[in-house]
Amino acid sequence: MIVTVKLFGMLKTQLHNESELKVPLDQGCRVDDLIAAIRLMNADVGDLLLKRKILVSVNHEVAHGETELTGTDEIALLPPFSGGSCTPGEMLAHVYR
Amino acid sequence: MSTVDTEATLVRVQREDFSIDEEINRVRNRSTRIGGIATFLGTARDRSNDRDVSRITFEYYEGMAQKKLREIRERALQDFDVIEVLILHRYGEIDIGENIVLIVVGAMHRADAFKACKWCIDELKQITPIWKCEQTPDGELWVEQHP
Repeated sequence: MIVTVKLFGMLKTQLHNESELKVPLDQGCRVDDLIAAIRLMNADVGDLLLKRKILVSVNHEVAHGETELTGTDEIALLPPFSGGSCTPGEMLAHVYR
Repeated sequence: MSTVDTEATLVRVQREDFSIDEEINRVRNRSTRIGGIATFLGTARDRSNDRDVSRITFEYYEGMAQKKLREIRERALQDFDVIEVLILHRYGEIDIGENIVLIVVGAMHRADAFKACKWCIDELKQITPIWKCEQTPDGELWVEQHP
């Protein structure tokens, strides 16, 4: 199956202003498998996913690694929200354009 | 009460500016038991992280953002002794000084209204998928944290 992954904020900028990714996955795959597949497509984004700096949402809820995916799920990568972290040292990379 | 407001009008993400008076009245008109209304209004400032900011653009995740704001309203109504909660956030390009976000909480007593209002804006900033991009002299900058 091919899942469509929505992109927002700095991620969209980092990934050449694309608003979504198409990721081929086997049936029965989980969020961890999606992260591994994205890591092969873009190592930087994959590493941020592994560190949970970027979260994965499935059907409008933040998902865990073991969450199983289907072809009809609405999936998104969520960079840190504008009010998320209060510690400057925890800030993700700035993206200028 | 003269106004029949549904959850859809009490929780909104919208591009256009809003009238603070109208939104306060929306809450005020929900009950004659309300004796205190606390508000939080977030506005666009021209300085952030030691940089000048000339404009801010907000992006949000359609569907999930509204869902999280509805959850915040429901939890505030459940966990605090308040009568009504309104949460409104703008998206798109916002000029310096303009309104961004409004929380209005009506309660019988002010202490409960203040507490719930603070909790709502803090929670909004933690769990709502909204992203802020600031226009600075160095270019556009996505912001990941608010002090």
